[in-house]
Amino acid sequence: VSDDEQQGGLKAAVHYTVGCMCRELGEEHRREFSRQTVAAIAETAFRECDIFAKDLEAFARHAKRSTVSAEDVKLLARRSAALYKHIQNKSEELAREQRDSRKRKSRDTEEESRE
Amino acid sequence: MLSLQQDSTTPPDVAQQVSANFDVEFQNKSHLISLHFIQLCVTVSGDATLLMREMLKIFVKEAALRSLRQAEAEDCNQVEIEHFEKILPQLLLDF
Repeated sequence: VSDDEQQGGLKAAVHYTVGCMCRELGEEHRREFSRQTVAAIAETAFRECDIFAKDLEAFARHAKRSTVSAEDVKLLARRSAALYKHIQNKSEELAREQRDSRKRKSRDTEEESRE
Repeated sequence: MLSLQQDSTTPPDVAQQVSANFDVEFQNKSHLISLHFIQLCVTVSGDATLLMREMLKIFVKEAALRSLRQAEAEDCNQVEIEHFEKILPQLLLDF
């Protein structure tokens, strides 16, 4: 699959998802989004993603890492206090979930070995 | 949700509502992010991908809600591109 094809597919996926979210929000507020608006929001989100990715890459590189970590994403959200807090909470939540699932897994293996 | 805009009175649970569609798209999302990397020697951890998904979801939701509010202020039944155009500069400054 060529890069252009892949990009087209991803753009379509973003467009579809934005369309669904807009419809949902529109129903809540009893308003309708025009197709043009949905397309514009999708295009903006796609380009914003481009900016995000370049920033993330630069952050990871600056920290002399080759993997983008959760810390980099937190740094990306630094400009707005509310967003930063939200992302921080989300990140902690994820870390907790992972710890729990790891505990569960180790408990399972312990029980298995006992059996 | 987030009080990015002071006058936005978004219900607090909006951010928590996970639309199933985004989960479908989630598989694509890591491609989406890595696609934009200038050099592909950088990889993305699983956590970072999930957080990025959240970020993009908030971005789209903010865009849609602010446009909605603009349409409401102008007493229009349909959210037109003009409404989105009006909120776009502040939206881009906030992210």
